[in-house]
Amino acid sequence: MIRRVLPPLAPALIALLVFVAFPMLWVVRTSFNELEAGAYIVDALTLDNYTRFLGDSWYLINTLWFSIRIALIATAISVVCAYPVALYIARTAGLQRNILLALIMAPLLIGLVTLVYGWIVIFRGGGLLNSLMIALHVYDQPVRYMWDIKGVVILLVYIGAPYVVLSLLDSIERISPFLVEAARNVGASRWTAFWKIVFPLTMPGLYAGIVIVFALNFSAFAVPLMIGDSNTQMIGLVVYREALLNNDLPFASALSVIMVAVNAMILMGMAVFFGRLILNRLEVKR
Amino acid sequence: MIRFDFGTAALRLITLLMMTFLVFPIAVTLVVAVNPREFILPPNGFTLDWFRAAWSSKTFLRGMGVSLVLGIAAAFLANVLALPAAMALVRNNFPGKAALNIILMSPLLIPTTIFSLALYIYFVRIGYGSGLLPLLVGHTIHIMPYALRILTASLHNLDPSYEEAARIVGAGRIRTLFSITLPVIRTGLVSSFALCFILSWNDFPISVFLAPPGWTPLPVELFSYIKFQYDAVAAALAGSLILLSALAIVIIDRLAGLRRVLRS
Repeated sequence: MIRRVLPPLAPALIALLVFVAFPMLWVVRTSFNELEAGAYIVDALTLDNYTRFLGDSWYLINTLWFSIRIALIATAISVVCAYPVALYIARTAGLQRNILLALIMAPLLIGLVTLVYGWIVIFRGGGLLNSLMIALHVYDQPVRYMWDIKGVVILLVYIGAPYVVLSLLDSIERISPFLVEAARNVGASRWTAFWKIVFPLTMPGLYAGIVIVFALNFSAFAVPLMIGDSNTQMIGLVVYREALLNNDLPFASALSVIMVAVNAMILMGMAVFFGRLILNRLEVKR
Repeated sequence: MIRFDFGTAALRLITLLMMTFLVFPIAVTLVVAVNPREFILPPNGFTLDWFRAAWSSKTFLRGMGVSLVLGIAAAFLANVLALPAAMALVRNNFPGKAALNIILMSPLLIPTTIFSLALYIYFVRIGYGSGLLPLLVGHTIHIMPYALRILTASLHNLDPSYEEAARIVGAGRIRTLFSITLPVIRTGLVSSFALCFILSWNDFPISVFLAPPGWTPLPVELFSYIKFQYDAVAAALAGSLILLSALAIVIIDRLAGLRRVLRS
């Protein structure tokens, strides 16, 4: 069996080994190296790059904690926006469904820079959003969205929400409509049927969506680079700057390792939380 | 289709708002791109002057050339890597298949920032000069999972008896592949190629890390441009990219079905 299966899989697996696994390990190794004057990397086994970040309260507050907060906020907003949309799309069919899916997927396929351009036109001082808000008397003075945290969050939601819709849709479409019908037949109200049947069964999709979008938001560098300012130093952006502008590859590597580790810890925390939530619901039913 | 009979009106309203939110920046870009009065909305006419300016800019044309070559090469390589893997996965059941599938999909699970940085460091450390290889590798690896997903789905629909019949009448493996398998899954191949191409063509994060000097793909070129000026020429260029992406979306939807292609 292995002799039949391995040859066709080999090229792809070798490519992943050579160009994903190996470089990732190399990042870990580089994170323990030293940088000498002139941006030369010297092989060493030092924790300096880690302590430089983790021992600096400015970095901890304005980069690490800031990225976690922004990622959590943007993920939460994405989920709230995406859930009703996924429920609605799940019950459409034919052309309407195709159009909705195409619109949901458009931001995923159209490049980030292209989309950011549209948002710049909307966001800038005398731009559409401010004109609209002032005309509607929501506020009187133009508000800053560009080069500001508000713009960053809006853009992260814009990119993240479609992923949540798609992964929720996966879960919702697996739910048998007979379950809902059965619940209704034995006298559950529509609302009860939703909370007791549909909502718990969408947990896996919700969790999958949150995992994807949180990781995406937490490591984002292009959005804060294009829309943010010096107050939106998300960790992905710092990695980008240290690697490409300051040529400090050991420090950038250490930051990447920290980024992946923190991301994994937060996702594990969420897994425990979601596990509890689902178990609690089962308890209640019993 | 699923019938949950609650809150239809509210859900419809929220969906409408959400779709407006998703489409709004795209629509704004297209309107600015054909509006004769730069940025002054509502538009007072229709012009293709901005498009003409965008399409005659040397920088943008060069960027387009780079993106075109890169997109075609990366899409081709991704499919060449993914097709045999997809065939092995669809035709055989073996222990560890699920794990193998996750490994093959792993480029999607790694944050792009980390993946690009890792490749960047890797090529710097092995002393590779300023060639196109890192960029090509980055794009190919990043889009390969998408190719694998579409090709796996279309191979599932292929009745293996066609291939068996070809083999029985004496066609070799290669002959069977080229005269039976590939023609039968050609819609899958075309949509896989279209998806891979458009993902590469529109990519920014990987290119910004890995593009060598003098080989700047179009999105990075557009980014450097709008950093300093976001005029209607930029809108026209962004508009061209949107129209191309829309074309790709339609092709993929017609041939493979959007839903199957972009699962989360």
